[in-house]
Amino acid sequence: MSAEPDVIRKCTWPVCLVGLFVTGILSLDCSLLDVHLRRVTWQNLSLLSRMSKSFPIECLRESKAFELPQEILSHTQPLTRDIKEAFYEMSRQAFHIFIQDTFRSTWEEKHLRQVQIGLDQQLQYLEQCLEEEEEENEDMREMAEDEWTQSGAPVPQLSNLELRRYFNRIDRFLKDKKYSHCAWEIVRVEIRRCFYFFHKFTALLRRK
Amino acid sequence: MLLSQNVSAVGPLNLYPMVHISLMFGISYILPDFSDESCTLKMTLRNLQSILSWEFKNHSVVPTHYTLWYTIMSKQEDMKIVGDCTNITRSFCDLTDVWVNMTEMYIPKVVGFRGNTALVSCMGSFFLAMETLPLDPPEFEIIGFTDHVSVNVKFQSVAPKMLNEEELQFYLALIEEQSGGIVKKHKPKTNGNITENFSYVINKLIPKTNYCVSVYFEPKDPRKINRSPLKCTLFQPGWESESSESATIGGIITLFLIAAVVISTVMMLKQIGYICLRNDFPKVLNFYKLSVCVFPELPPLEKVATVEVIHINRKKKVWNYNYDDESDSDNEAAPRISAGGYTTHGLTGRLCPASVSSATLEDCSDPATEECDLPEPKAGAEAPVAPGPSPWQSECTSRGYQGRANLLQDHFSEEDSSSTEGSGDRIVFNVDLNSVCVRALEDNDDSEVTPVLPSRPEETVVLEDPDETESDLLVASGEGTQLPFPGPSAECLWPEDTPSDKSDTSESDVDMGDGYVTR
Repeated sequence: MSAEPDVIRKCTWPVCLVGLFVTGILSLDCSLLDVHLRRVTWQNLSLLSRMSKSFPIECLRESKAFELPQEILSHTQPLTRDIKEAFYEMSRQAFHIFIQDTFRSTWEEKHLRQVQIGLDQQLQYLEQCLEEEEEENEDMREMAEDEWTQSGAPVPQLSNLELRRYFNRIDRFLKDKKYSHCAWEIVRVEIRRCFYFFHKFTALLRRK
Repeated sequence: MLLSQNVSAVGPLNLYPMVHISLMFGISYILPDFSDESCTLKMTLRNLQSILSWEFKNHSVVPTHYTLWYTIMSKQEDMKIVGDCTNITRSFCDLTDVWVNMTEMYIPKVVGFRGNTALVSCMGSFFLAMETLPLDPPEFEIIGFTDHVSVNVKFQSVAPKMLNEEELQFYLALIEEQSGGIVKKHKPKTNGNITENFSYVINKLIPKTNYCVSVYFEPKDPRKINRSPLKCTLFQPGWESESSESATIGGIITLFLIAAVVISTVMMLKQIGYICLRNDFPKVLNFYKLSVCVFPELPPLEKVATVEVIHINRKKKVWNYNYDDESDSDNEAAPRISAGGYTTHGLTGRLCPASVSSATLEDCSDPATEECDLPEPKAGAEAPVAPGPSPWQSECTSRGYQGRANLLQDHFSEEDSSSTEGSGDRIVFNVDLNSVCVRALEDNDDSEVTPVLPSRPEETVVLEDPDETESDLLVASGEGTQLPFPGPSAECLWPEDTPSDKSDTSESDVDMGDGYVTR
C-alpha cells in the first residue's frame, strides 16, 4: 500500500522531464519545416504501402482518374507560403478521408492509426508555422498577392481550391462505391501517389 | 474462341450449365492469374537499366516465348503491349524507356505462350517510388600516386529516365577504403548527375599500406546495397620524409611523455613512502673523487732553491755500532736520542762520478754508511704532532733522496772543485730541499736541531711496524702531514750526530752558521 506513493514520487520527476523534452520536441522549429515535412510525408508514404501487400488486380477495372492537380506544383517560382498552404490543405483533406471508420475491415487498424497520427502531426506543424509567418509577414503577403494579380499569373490560393476539388472527387468515389474494398484500395493508391508528389515538392522548400 | 467451341459440343438441355462453365473458363482466361504462388515478378536496376523479370513456378508447363503488357492506375487505359518484349524467349524485359514516371503505379502482365496457345499469365503492380531497387555499382578503377589515390568512376552513358535529377538524391556513390580493417566512407559529390564520369581523390593516407576501394549506390533501404568487388592498391608515397619526420617527432614526444610519467611515478612513490631514496651514497658510489682518481693531481712542482754549500772539513764522528762497548764517554758517534726521539748518526760517503742532478744513489751508497734508526712510533706517540714538519718525519723518504746529498757532499770533499761552480771550497748547486736532509750546525754542539723534511699534505705516518711499511712510502690520509716511518735501510744524512734536546718545530729557520740550512 505504501509502495504506490513512493513509486509516484519516484516517477514524477522523470515524467516531468520527459514531458518537457516532448514539449520541446513537439514545438517545431519552422526553419526546419522542409526537413520535417519531407520526413513525415515519406513516413506516411511507407505506411500506405505497408497497409496492403499488393494491389488486388481484380480491382483494376474499378480504377478512376482523380486528376491530381499537378499544375499547382509547377509554378516557376511558387512562394514559400503557398507551398506551405498547399501542404496544409493536402494534409487536412487526407486526414478527413482517413479519419472515417468505414475501412476498418480493409486494413489493419494499427497501420491506419499510424497514418492518422502522422497526418495530425503534419497539420499541427503547418498550422504553427503558418501562424508565425502570417504575423511577421502580413504586409509582404498582401503586396505579393497584388503583384500576382497584376502579372496575370494564377493566384496562389487557387491551388488550395484545386486540391479541395481533388479530394472531393476521392470522397465522392468512396461514397459511390459504397466504401468497398476495391474502392478503398484504389483510394489508398491514389493518396499515396499524392503524398509522393508532395514529397518531391518539399525540395522546393529546401531550396528556398 | 474457346467459348464458342464449348457451346457447340453440348445439347439444349445442358446448354445453360455448359455455357456457364465456358463463360467461367473464358473469364478466367481474360482475367489474369494474380496468384502469388504461380509466378514472381521482379523489378531491378541493372547498369542503371530498369529490368522487369519474371519466373513461373509451375515448371511442368514451360512456355516457348513471352509477351508483356502493362497499364497505369491514374488513368483508365487498356493494357499496352511493350513492343520490345513481344514474343520473346527471354524471361525479362528492359523498361528503362517505358516506365519513366515515378508517381505512377504500373500494372504489368506477362503471358507465356507455346506456339499460339497461352499457357500461363502473370500480373503485378509496381509503384516505382517505393521500390527499393538495388542499383548495380558502376565501373571504376583505382590508381595510386605518390601522394594520393585516385578513383575513377565510369557511369553508364544513358541513365534511366525514372532516375531524373530529383530522384538521384536518393542515390549516392560511396567509396570505402579498407585499410587495416578500418572502413572509411567517402561521399563524393556527383552534382545529381550519374551519367558523367568523375574522379575522386583520397589523400592523407598511411604509407606502405594496402588500400581497397568499393563503390556502390546508396538506396533508401540500406539492406539492399549492391557493392562492387574490391579493388586494391599498395600506397607507397614519395613523401616518406614527411611521414618519417612526423613519426620522429611523434616518437620524441612519446619518449618525453614516458619519461615524465616515470619520473612523476617515482616521485609520487617517494612522497607516499613506498620507496625510500637515500641521500648519502655508499663510498663505492662516491664519485666525488672520481675525477681525482681519473685525473690524479700532478704533484706540485718541486721548489728549487739555490743553496750554497760550504764544505768544511770536520772530523766525522762515526758510530762504530759497538753495542758491547757502552762507555759513557762523550762519544759523539754514539747515538743520541734527541728530545724528539730521533737518533742521529754521522754518515760518510764518497762522491760518485755521476752528475749532481742525476745521481743514482744505489751505486753510490757507502758501505760504511750506517743506518739511521729512528725509534718506532708508538700509538699515542709522545712526540708532539706539529702542524708542520714533526719529529717523526724523516728527511729520508728514500735512499735515493738521501744518497743524493750524500754524494754531493762526498763529491765536494774528494774531487776538485773545478767541476762545479764556485771557487775553492765553495760550491754552488741546486738542491731540492724537499729531498735532502739539512741541518744547521751551530757553535754550540749541544744545540741540535732535529732536522725535518718539509711535509707533504697528502702524506701521513702509518703507526705500524717499520718492517712492514718499508715499501709504503706514502700513505694517504686526511690528516696530518707526517711522512711514513722509514725503514731500517733509510739513511740519514747527518754528518754529525749531535742530538739536540730541542724538538723540532715547524719553524723554518735558516741558519747559515756552520754552513747548514735548517728548515
